[in-house]
Amino acid sequence: MSKNIHICKLSDIPANGIKDFVLEGGEKVLIANFSENYYAYNGNCPHQGTCLAEGFFDGAVLTCNKHLWQWDITTGKPIGLAEAPLESYQLEIEDGEIYVRKANALKMAELFRDISTSTQDLLVKLTRREEYEVGSVLYDLGDLTDDLYILESGRVEFELGRDERTSAAGFILRKGEVFGWAALLEHQPIRIAQAVCVEKSVLLRLNGEEVVKVLATDPASGYLVMRQLATLITRHFTSSSEQ
Amino acid sequence: MMTGKTLNIQVNARNRAYTLDGTSDDKILNLGLSNAIDLPYECGSGTCGTCKARLISGEICDRWPEAPGRKFLKPKKGEFLMCQCAAKTDSVIEVESFVHTMEAGACVPGLITGRVNSSKLLTPDVMSLQITMDQTFDFDAGQFMLVQFPEVVGFRGWSMVNYERHAKTLDFVIKKKPDGVLSEWLFGNNCEGVEVELYGPLGNATFYSRLAKNILCIAGGSGIAGIMSILSRAAQDGYFSQYSGDVFFGVRTMKDAFFLDELAAFRAECGEKLNIVIALSDEDVPASAQIDYPQLAFDNGFVHEVAGRHMEDRYQNVRAYLAGPPPLVNGSIGMLLRARVTTDNIRYDKFS
Ligand SMILES: Cc1cc2nc3c(=O)[nH]c(=O)nc-3n(C[C@H](O)[C@H](O)[C@H](O)COP(=O)(O)OP(=O)(O)OC[C@H]3O[C@@H](n4cnc5c(N)ncnc54)[C@H](O)[C@@H]3O)c2cc1C
Ligand code: FES
Repeated sequence: MSKNIHICKLSDIPANGIKDFVLEGGEKVLIANFSENYYAYNGNCPHQGTCLAEGFFDGAVLTCNKHLWQWDITTGKPIGLAEAPLESYQLEIEDGEIYVRKANALKMAELFRDISTSTQDLLVKLTRREEYEVGSVLYDLGDLTDDLYILESGRVEFELGRDERTSAAGFILRKGEVFGWAALLEHQPIRIAQAVCVEKSVLLRLNGEEVVKVLATDPASGYLVMRQLATLITRHFTSSSEQ
Repeated sequence: MMTGKTLNIQVNARNRAYTLDGTSDDKILNLGLSNAIDLPYECGSGTCGTCKARLISGEICDRWPEAPGRKFLKPKKGEFLMCQCAAKTDSVIEVESFVHTMEAGACVPGLITGRVNSSKLLTPDVMSLQITMDQTFDFDAGQFMLVQFPEVVGFRGWSMVNYERHAKTLDFVIKKKPDGVLSEWLFGNNCEGVEVELYGPLGNATFYSRLAKNILCIAGGSGIAGIMSILSRAAQDGYFSQYSGDVFFGVRTMKDAFFLDELAAFRAECGEKLNIVIALSDEDVPASAQIDYPQLAFDNGFVHEVAGRHMEDRYQNVRAYLAGPPPLVNGSIGMLLRARVTTDNIRYDKFS
């Protein structure tokens, strides 16, 4: 677990407003106030890195002023044109001071959004956090679809085909992005692409069958995950992009 | 015409890769768009940074290393602007977004040639310019072209004023930019007969009649260009018999206003559902304005503030089109968001 980082006093944040702070190492954190509550997110737009503090904030919805991506400030969930959620931080308040801590990548994953906290905690218990060097092959064509992966940091690329006839098939680079989701599907026992870490990467791994078992105990959450999985799959394979 | 060496560019996007066959003359953005691949862009002319990509392998040539849009890049990471760079060798590049192919029926952009047919001063610092093309051309109302004159390096973005299918001519209005290289040249020379290169059509601030929404247009200065095209298409289709149109055109003083006769004619043709307000930011509305143009309304203030006052709570089922200088577009966006207009209904061209 990462440790708490002190950011500012509660009173530094304008009422129903936003303010950003630069951490040691250059990372920017945006703190937002909405009535009684405070939220912390990465201060750069997940689209093109635009400074979010320069965007529009109406107390509930944050809009980046560059291409009008929007998010619900209470959850970081994308609205409208936005293609990605905000990267959230856990925020704690002690004696009127705000501290933040990096959030667990699983809790940020769009796939597991809005599910019950108890199920989320069970899933967190299933995760194995692993670090990989550049060039590590996470899985190859024809491998068994055992694990589901969540990116914490780094970057993973996918390739279709073998030997001389490979073609790039997209990449994953945002914290909380999920891949290897065939592990959640029935009748998809074999990987159809290769996944390689092209940067030093940290990943959370969960066994697909165990995830499905946990979800079976909480059908409401299970239903949400399957719906979100369907959205994820269509985003990667729209009719125009894949035969 | 240059004929560069043929080469191959692979574009790795978040969802998949595309392979493009082109030449060392082709700007990478243009090559993708001409192949109906919807690469990200906004200005197409080096200012906004939206077309950012990263070079993974190969070599590129930056045609405009001083482009202002480069301030959004991390050059150490190999980032470059697709709208200003061409490949020198086979290359692999990466675009950090989901990229899809264009919808069937979209007007796929291409490079065409034409010649300036006529030009006319509309005010001391605004001119209209008509270009006749060597072939017929389709575009959507509200789109723009990149235009290059032989005398001046680099393409400039200009929005079409007219609208017709299979167009043979394109009409533009050009505002003189203080110290602007092409504007100085255009306002100081007779450009009739000059051959130009055009690339387009570009832009997604487009209007089509199946939209089935009330439309709100806010434009400043030459930003009225694309709005004229939208009005032209809407008028041709009888759109304002069913939906309302509110047009706010901001200029400094009456002396800076142009197209007032044309706007009055749109109102006369389309009827009461089309309201057109001229907003004067630097002077009170002279009494003569209303007498000379009974079909138009006049008000005083910055155009987005005037629009805010007139629209009040009439934002239901609205699609907004914004065009002009960035402060005007940003001010209008803020106003629309406060009025709870959703972002998919806010279309804009920042004349950066
Ligand atoms: C989408 C869009 C639509 C627009 N529509 C209109 C319109 O309808 N009417 C209008 O008056 N204005 C319009 N503009 C603004 C217009 O493009 C600029 O005002 C115009 O480019 C000014 O040109 P200039 O030569 O006078 O100024 P300059 O300051 O000399 O040049 C400005 C622009 O020219 C290009 N440029 C300059 N040098 C180079 C170079 N070496 N290589 C490559 N490119 C170079 C760049 O695009 C730069 O931003 C539009 C802008 C955009 C983005
Ligand atoms: S599209 Fe290239 S900088 Fe704007």
